Amino acid sequence: MNLPGGGGGPAARAAAGPPVRPHALEAGRNGAATPGYRHPGAADTLGGHDRPSRDGGVARWEPLRMSVTPVLDLRGIDKSFGSVKVLHDVAFSAYPGEVTALVGDNGAGKTTLVKCIGGIHPFDSGEYRFDGAPARVGSPRDAAALGIEIVHQDLALCENLDIVQNLFLGRERRRGLMLDEAGMEELARGTLAGLSVRTIGSVRQRISTLSGGQRQTVAIARAVLWDSKVVILDEPAAALGVVQTQQVLELVRRLADKGLAVVLISHNMNDVFAVSDRIAALYLGRMAAQVRTSDVTHRQIVELITAGVSGDLGLRR
Amino acid sequence: MMRAGPAPEEIRRHNLGTLLRFVHLRGPASRARLAESLGLNRSTIMALTSDLTAAGLVREELPRGPGRRAGRPSLVVRPESTRVYVLAFDVGVDRLVVARVGLGGVVLDRREAARSRDADPSDLVGTLAAGARSLVRKADRGAVCVGAALAFPGTVRRSDDAIMFGPNLDVGDVHLGDALSRRLGLGIPVSVRNDANLGALAEHERGAGVGCDNLIYLHGDVGVGGGIIVGGRLLGGDEGFGGEIGHMVVNPGGRPCACGARGCLEAEVGERTLLDLAGREAAPGQSGRDAVRGVVDAADRGDIVAREALHRVGNRLGLGVANLVNVFNPGMVVFGGTLRDIYLGSAAQVRSVLATNALAAPRERVKLRTTELGDDTTLVGAAEFAFAEVLADPVQVLTRLRTPEDTPVS
Repeated sequence: MNLPGGGGGPAARAAAGPPVRPHALEAGRNGAATPGYRHPGAADTLGGHDRPSRDGGVARWEPLRMSVTPVLDLRGIDKSFGSVKVLHDVAFSAYPGEVTALVGDNGAGKTTLVKCIGGIHPFDSGEYRFDGAPARVGSPRDAAALGIEIVHQDLALCENLDIVQNLFLGRERRRGLMLDEAGMEELARGTLAGLSVRTIGSVRQRISTLSGGQRQTVAIARAVLWDSKVVILDEPAAALGVVQTQQVLELVRRLADKGLAVVLISHNMNDVFAVSDRIAALYLGRMAAQVRTSDVTHRQIVELITAGVSGDLGLRR
Repeated sequence: MMRAGPAPEEIRRHNLGTLLRFVHLRGPASRARLAESLGLNRSTIMALTSDLTAAGLVREELPRGPGRRAGRPSLVVRPESTRVYVLAFDVGVDRLVVARVGLGGVVLDRREAARSRDADPSDLVGTLAAGARSLVRKADRGAVCVGAALAFPGTVRRSDDAIMFGPNLDVGDVHLGDALSRRLGLGIPVSVRNDANLGALAEHERGAGVGCDNLIYLHGDVGVGGGIIVGGRLLGGDEGFGGEIGHMVVNPGGRPCACGARGCLEAEVGERTLLDLAGREAAPGQSGRDAVRGVVDAADRGDIVAREALHRVGNRLGLGVANLVNVFNPGMVVFGGTLRDIYLGSAAQVRSVLATNALAAPRERVKLRTTELGDDTTLVGAAEFAFAEVLADPVQVLTRLRTPEDTPVS
């Protein structure tokens, strides 16, 4: 059940000191994106009491309308490693509040594209727009400054450190000359609670004691801790059992429902269809199609992945 | 003759209910936030909270943690979770749950019991009553039980809570609520409602569907149940039997259903069919839920028979969802119970069928989600339903319940 404390906690936390950056998820809980409060009366309908509806005296909150402009927008991206051409004229967009699945065969260029987005590889030519404005991303630091976080397949967690230390690794909060341990612990707990994570007991547990699913959760929490706008997940469910996969998928969905743009790389068509709003299919270094998941079938996506074309969709030959 | 608007007393009662409902559903809130959210001025909020405080429904305290800005901090209004509670009963085919749920939606305590499928129907009331009594005994002194509701997997008549049809569970007595209420002896009626209807309510108020006023909840147990919320209200139909999505025909002439028809959604995607298609049987002592999860797990590991079974079930489920999307244009469809596992295990099929069979316009924006309340969706729904009366008229109901101070707690 949902936890009491949604009112006092976040506001108090924001005031606890100069925040590193405002908290992405908490902003959604407190601000305009808070789901609309309704008129009373829904419960009585089950009992069939017909109460007159009144409008005076009770304000309604409208949920925030999601914008339709992509937060991340790439056009005409080319990338070669020496003489090996890896990406050719790739367009890719990610939208706030949506999960965009990036699919493709092995070697289709998924990971390279993600590394270009994250500033790990510079691309040769093409246009990189963030929040509608041209952006230059020459290093992972630039990407992080824009609010792009990548959760790599290997998760890049330090086994010998605890959850809080991992979440803040390299970006520790300070209070004077000391580390602000209490503040970081609080923020870590708040972030995990904001993600409705119930599977993790103490935030002072070492990573080495956590299961695969819990580690994935920590890696995802680290990505959303920094007021990020785009979170890219590379095969988050690849090494997990079915129960943990389900939990990670639901977590991915919640991230997007809180307003983040999520990019999900996956080989598993079920996972893709379970959570995605859009599917971008790469075929041999080219973007075969970017489609809305509600408009396509499993078969079409498989054809786009394996042949680059499916009926009207896909690459023109 | 025309009525000149609602009377001041009526407005006051309404506002009391609205305020209590706000802190019940959204958690503790400062007076300032209440004023802003409810569109009332702060002096009205103050008057309302003092009424609710006097009735013992909320308490006010200083905010925890350091203050946000200069000046006197706004008091935080908290629901009296341990002092005002309801009893929620969830009757499943394989398990029985009784919970004491405090105002604010906190599960304070719970009892669970496995139920064997051939259990004697007359034991049911006894088991539930015993569980509830032990919960009541452990409640704080002075705590008051303000309602009780039971989620039942079957068709229930709204006017008298009579169970009309429950193909998967024989209860012996159609007036289960009355029998239970008598056994409890708390002087509180026990409402009985369809479990999936209550599940829809729970997801709408506390789960994935908060803020979504057009929602369909699909619940998988042995059978398949449904609850449809339209414009923020549950669709009950003429007598409260509405929303039986499980008996929508998705395969004419298909598998026989316990209701007598063939090819109902319940018969095509229910637990028995999935296990049958996967060539499995529920192991003795294993609940149906675990058996279904076993199939999903096997499919994930590459078992081709289990995969094929999930594919076929997913296709039928997609067909059902497509029909619902076309008819009701829901903003969200939530899968709960075993259907959560089945949806996550066959989403490619479900959504492919949806893409080909639903109209483009209503299909475009519909969100498919899994329950956020885990295995407790129907239990939470029962608790919310039990709270409905006190939320509608807080002070009156509490006064009525508190006046005979000799509430028998045996």
